[in-house]
Amino acid sequence: MRSAEGNSDSLGRLGLLASALACRALKVAPADPGELAWTDGRVVFVDANIGTREQVEAVAVQASLLAAGSLETDVVRRLTRRPALARRYLAVEGHRALAAIEDLLPPSVRPLIDSDVAARADSPVASLAAALSREPIADPPDSFGAIRTRHLLASIKRAASSAMTHQHVRREQRNQVVAELSGDEDEDGTAADLFSSPVGSGGALGRLLAQLLGVVRQLNGGGPPGVDAPTHWTGAEARGRGSTVFSIGVTGTMEQAAIEGQGTKYPEWDVHRRRYRRDWCTVQEVEPRPKDDTPLLMSHRHGLRRPLARLGMGLERFRRRVQGDEIDIDAVIEARVEAMAGSAPHEAIYVESLRRRRDLAVLLLLDTSGSAAESAATGQTVHEQQRAAAAALTVALHEIGDRVALYAYHSRGRSAVHLVPVKRFDDDLDTLVMRRLHGLVPSAYSRLGAAIRHGAAVLEKRGATSRRLLVVLSDGLAYDHGYEPVYGAADARRALAEARRRGTACLCLSIAASTDVETLRRVFGSAAYATIPRTEQLSQVIGPLFRSALRSAEVRRRVS
Amino acid sequence: MTEGPGIGAGDGDSAARLERVVTATRAARPYYVLVGNEEKIFKAAFRQGLSVVLKGPTGCGKTRFLEAMAHDLGRPLITVACHDDLTTADLVGRFLLRGGETEWVDGPLTRAVREGAICYLDEVVEARQDTTVVLHPLADHRRQLPIERLGLTLDAAPGFCLVVSYNPGYQSILKDLKDSTRQRMVAIEFGFPARDVEVKIVAHEAGVDEAQAAELVRLGQAIRRLETAGLREVASTRVLIAAGRLIAEGLEAREAARAAIAGPLTDDSTVTRGLVEMIDLYLADQTA
Repeated sequence: MRSAEGNSDSLGRLGLLASALACRALKVAPADPGELAWTDGRVVFVDANIGTREQVEAVAVQASLLAAGSLETDVVRRLTRRPALARRYLAVEGHRALAAIEDLLPPSVRPLIDSDVAARADSPVASLAAALSREPIADPPDSFGAIRTRHLLASIKRAASSAMTHQHVRREQRNQVVAELSGDEDEDGTAADLFSSPVGSGGALGRLLAQLLGVVRQLNGGGPPGVDAPTHWTGAEARGRGSTVFSIGVTGTMEQAAIEGQGTKYPEWDVHRRRYRRDWCTVQEVEPRPKDDTPLLMSHRHGLRRPLARLGMGLERFRRRVQGDEIDIDAVIEARVEAMAGSAPHEAIYVESLRRRRDLAVLLLLDTSGSAAESAATGQTVHEQQRAAAAALTVALHEIGDRVALYAYHSRGRSAVHLVPVKRFDDDLDTLVMRRLHGLVPSAYSRLGAAIRHGAAVLEKRGATSRRLLVVLSDGLAYDHGYEPVYGAADARRALAEARRRGTACLCLSIAASTDVETLRRVFGSAAYATIPRTEQLSQVIGPLFRSALRSAEVRRRVS
Repeated sequence: MTEGPGIGAGDGDSAARLERVVTATRAARPYYVLVGNEEKIFKAAFRQGLSVVLKGPTGCGKTRFLEAMAHDLGRPLITVACHDDLTTADLVGRFLLRGGETEWVDGPLTRAVREGAICYLDEVVEARQDTTVVLHPLADHRRQLPIERLGLTLDAAPGFCLVVSYNPGYQSILKDLKDSTRQRMVAIEFGFPARDVEVKIVAHEAGVDEAQAAELVRLGQAIRRLETAGLREVASTRVLIAAGRLIAEGLEAREAARAAIAGPLTDDSTVTRGLVEMIDLYLADQTA
């Protein structure tokens, strides 16, 4: 077990080599044991159990093929369902592709090239012609791997159909494509792929099972969906009613240990009784499970840096400084007067102009409830779009120099509101964060109010800046056991109002979700909110949104 | 308070901190291998009194090129490394207090204008935009430097040439050169040199043999292809030379490359592992 893990880890490391040779972002993942190496254009699959040298060779060949344009659609299409031809093509084209970037190959791979064979063709089409001819062609060595036309075409088609912004392919999606094409008869049976992971989240069967067994939120289902909905209320709340202040107490009751440990209790606003239910929800921070096969490289920024960078920058001139660019005449005169009068003059006689540093902490709350798994009009799921937006915002804000944290949330009833710290304020922004982010799987419900209260509390405690911004990425559906839409919307609205009362700016973004504006207004109330059909459009609106959210918080803070 | 214009080349502490003067009487020409027509363009621009912007990634030889040019043309070279708190006063000069009196101290730009030196503003985008505006009258046909605080306008001495460098890829989202500044300049683009040239450069600069240099260059060129795949910074000629110099010092090749190439490029542990893997594949293991 351990050795297999070690092997797959070292395979992952070859990702950079593969990307460099192929001149595009490429990952390396373990193939099934005994399988020849192959690629779908985004991932190179290599048997983890063969020697390191063979692995490097296999990766180099597949990456070279991609770099040399050997696996473009028009050629690959002519190879479909002709395995013998594909092998003859690979035998010629492999050498040609390697020879084309010979100067870039690691020394250990170069002996692989047969320059006589490489000289037979000067383009993929010429290699194909050679493969189609009757000339004898030696079988390619095992390290050349195989060309899987079906996977390549599916991957190209998918890339073309949705101008996708994130570069990697999720395993589930790959299997999904396989399942969809199961009518296609090819040499390596689809049945094996279909059942390779029959119960996991991958595979058609797995997805079917997940749908059957999983919790699926239905808004129009009527009636409470959960059995643990509260059936009676004790008098405890009545005692709590006295302190219906927008409680500073929320932050006060939160112990340091509680953030990390067994959970934090938060009140909830009962709109029907118009009072708080004290300590009603338990929020737990759940350690994220990083996903292994996420690409090493950072996500797309969607041009967010420029609009965000413009926020709150500016020069200020400070008088009477010990150092500075110019002399503060008033201070100098005073100093001279003092010196002449015989006392020790003050030395702070300069005007210094300083850039007012950014003083902003942002906490992003990402909705990972089951409804986010619905697919949006663009073909990606809402979750994928929101995730891309969260990643882009996190990277952009981090690079500008703001303090930024990213938490995902979902809930199963009031005692199990889970917040997943993908990136805490003090975490470094590295690939581990991206792997955690991609490891998130939408499930269960969203008790939005509790998530907002916890997010705001963390922001106030850990943000350590005077200006704070809470960004909620959600489809705006607040729903849980005993948390029906009207009640939930009221609580979420209340939670946002509490946060803003304490000077935390709030911004709610609904990306790619089909929620209507009316619902959003009901949930987000007077907080700044926006519906964005596609992640790419984020950059157009994010500047004004952030600015107006921050400005309103500024006003509130000054008032209080 | 007296305001004394033209006190001469001041040796104020802050000025000395910023700049570096390379005198024209330097014995040997700095090593620079010509890649394209950059020398022809530069010398023509110099003779015509035009300002020049050198564009290109970090560590590809912009500064070295300019040192060679300054040597050829026999002009002193004054280099200012721009940073984001660089003010107009840092460039032009300022009043300092000495005893009870104020004293004007020329900044590096003013000095270059008076002496007719080549003034090189390295990474000019790093400077604040209000600072770069002071370059405008100097960079166009006027070739004048107005010094507000002294109430004078200096005409640039013959031989003065303003050169700025600019790395288009680096931080260009946040900061970009103003169009009005750009259009006052002649641009010379730099890229990484071709393989053979780079091997020669690395071998010469680091003092390693050509075979070792070729290995390093091969690694460097492979890493550069990662730029399209999303690596933010790639291995420059400078880091390859640094690795070569460590090797010339007796370090093992892989060890040297890890320290000089992988380390500076990234802090991310996953990417570092990938780079180390590449280093191991491209550089021969000498310990075995």
